[in-house]
Amino acid sequence: MTPLIPLVVAVPLISATAIGLIGKWLDERAADAVGVLAALAGAVLAALVLARVTTGAHPYWFGGWRPRAGSYPLGIAFTPDRIGAGFAVFVLALLAAALVYSWRYVTAEHYLFSILMLLFGAAMAGFVLTGDLFNMFVFFELMSVAAFALTAHKIEEATPLQGAFNFAVSNTIGAFLVVFGIALLYGRTGSLNLAEIGSRLTGDGKHDGLVVAAFVLIACGFLVKAAIVPFHFWLADAHAIAPAPVCVLFSGVMVELGIYAVARIYWTVFDGVLGEFQHPIRDILIGVGCITAVLGAVMCGMQRHIKRLLAYSTIAHAGSFLIGVALLTPDGLAGSAVYVLAHGLAKGALFLVGGILLIAHEEIDELLLQGKGRSLPLAGIAWFAAALALASPPFLGTFTGHALLDDSASKLGYWWLPAVLAFATIGSTAAILRAGMRVFFGWGDEDDPLLSQEPPESSAPHERPSLALMQGVTLLLAFAGLAVGAWPGLAANVVEAAHQFVDRVDYTSVVLDHTPPVPVPREVWHTTTSSVVWSVVTLAGSLTVGTLSLYRARLPERVTDVLAHVLAPLRAAHSGHIGDYISWLTFGVAVIGGLFAFTIR
Amino acid sequence: MTYLPYALSVWIFVCGLYGIVSSRNLIHITVCVSVCQSATYVLLLAIGYRKHGTAPIFSDMPTRGRTIVDPIVQSLTLTDIVVSVAVAALLLTFALKVFEHHHSLDPGEIAGLKG
Repeated sequence: MTPLIPLVVAVPLISATAIGLIGKWLDERAADAVGVLAALAGAVLAALVLARVTTGAHPYWFGGWRPRAGSYPLGIAFTPDRIGAGFAVFVLALLAAALVYSWRYVTAEHYLFSILMLLFGAAMAGFVLTGDLFNMFVFFELMSVAAFALTAHKIEEATPLQGAFNFAVSNTIGAFLVVFGIALLYGRTGSLNLAEIGSRLTGDGKHDGLVVAAFVLIACGFLVKAAIVPFHFWLADAHAIAPAPVCVLFSGVMVELGIYAVARIYWTVFDGVLGEFQHPIRDILIGVGCITAVLGAVMCGMQRHIKRLLAYSTIAHAGSFLIGVALLTPDGLAGSAVYVLAHGLAKGALFLVGGILLIAHEEIDELLLQGKGRSLPLAGIAWFAAALALASPPFLGTFTGHALLDDSASKLGYWWLPAVLAFATIGSTAAILRAGMRVFFGWGDEDDPLLSQEPPESSAPHERPSLALMQGVTLLLAFAGLAVGAWPGLAANVVEAAHQFVDRVDYTSVVLDHTPPVPVPREVWHTTTSSVVWSVVTLAGSLTVGTLSLYRARLPERVTDVLAHVLAPLRAAHSGHIGDYISWLTFGVAVIGGLFAFTIR
Repeated sequence: MTYLPYALSVWIFVCGLYGIVSSRNLIHITVCVSVCQSATYVLLLAIGYRKHGTAPIFSDMPTRGRTIVDPIVQSLTLTDIVVSVAVAALLLTFALKVFEHHHSLDPGEIAGLKG
């Protein structure tokens, strides 16, 4: 079992190198096949690890640098638990799907594209498996650099560059914040191992400025990747221009990894020393999550560039995921985890439909595509199946995750949170349904005063690839997304995994002292009536709002004028100017840091 | 213990941020990102510094009774530098390509998608 753990990352990494060495002379199809097989092999290995870490984290020390019980850990460890290993399976499976889709989608220097994708996937898998803070940063940077290059893959076109530049600068500044935090923690504890840092901070018991500053810097740094307001600006620019199969990984897993990192660091490092401040931490993070969810949903409704629309919907969902993690309960965390799974599959399918539209009609603009989707019935089916999955209908799609979040929030007394989550879901799903109805049914007015400017981009690959394979992958993802909600036993398993994830004492003793944790029977989670009611509300709301917003041009001019005026500052803030984005980032860190500094003392 | 290196690190970081925020040139922004990154080197090295410590090289000198600076933060700094090279190379490539297409390096002029 143990030697399998590093192979999850090593297999895609080595395959990427191999393609790099011989790819030039290799037949393009052969390089593709190697890429897909490597991703699948990684996914299978991760699944084997997942099947065996049932009792909690399982450390693997590189080079056999295993610390003796009670002594100082010098080595670097991978510590997969069920959430981490499950995430790795998901990352690599989604990578395989994206690679199959891009078989004929990306033509220029195709083998280089495969290399970058494999590096990107391997880095993300390493990021979720590692139990070492600096190792986490290195994988974070590897995944970022691969992502920057992938965003600008269509480099012969003009438009990708601005988005790639903004993405690269924002995320690099975020990474620096993480390094600052890591340096502070290392200075205090003399260790980089998550378990060791956590136990030393807890032993110290001092929650002084240094600990709070380290927490704020690390959390804000990772939240830049998670596209949480006001760090979210890069996401829409990057998603609008990145190739569709790359967007699948961006929206499906990369953004979520930022939130995963906050959860991992909180529960392994800060839970002990900041444990008595759960209330302020919860309130602040939930507040930030709510703002993100609402802003993403509102901006989503104003987009006509389909990939940009999907990007804002991802921001709305990222807010919901953060809320789940910020509840600081195992149920909330489990809710976010299941939600991420269903969302990643469904959102991936939506981006892939966007790519199919771009190839078939050389256009990605909702209004210009009106009715043109009729010639692509399979893509249409995939679009609506995925949109349905995101609407959280009873016992399908994102329902389980949504229900867990709602229940956990209500139990803690946040009775209003389900309404915020429902608003975010309705807002973003309604926009997706609106775009789908306009493109695939041809419904709706020909103009909409509330939508943004016509996008300049329309960049199709020169060779027209076969759409059959691409539509097959897209349908598979869409229906897999729907099926997540109907998967019996998934919720119970993830809730148990979340209980293990949040158990800092168990994690520390497994990693440092090698004492296997004792399995504890957990409470079984059952669907409640209120979550079914909320899911009917979101489904009906999404359908109604989506249909009505097709006809926004018929609103009286006075109403649209007022709405446009109210929304104008919001639009203006998303200026595409990197200087503005970094000002917002600085402002966000200052506000969040200030709030923590005032409440944790 | 002196706080000067820590204050210096924050100062360098803020200078870099100001540069990025106020810049009208993509190459200038790339340099400012590198300035920000230098702040992390200063902080890391300051944390590992020991008064009267020597370099952490053990091959030709006796180790007993000798103060050495922390080698871990030095290797972290090296890793950090490698990362910064990769990022700077990519950013400069983007800047070059932007100039080829727009004949401008002003981020205000190349902004394509808004709102």
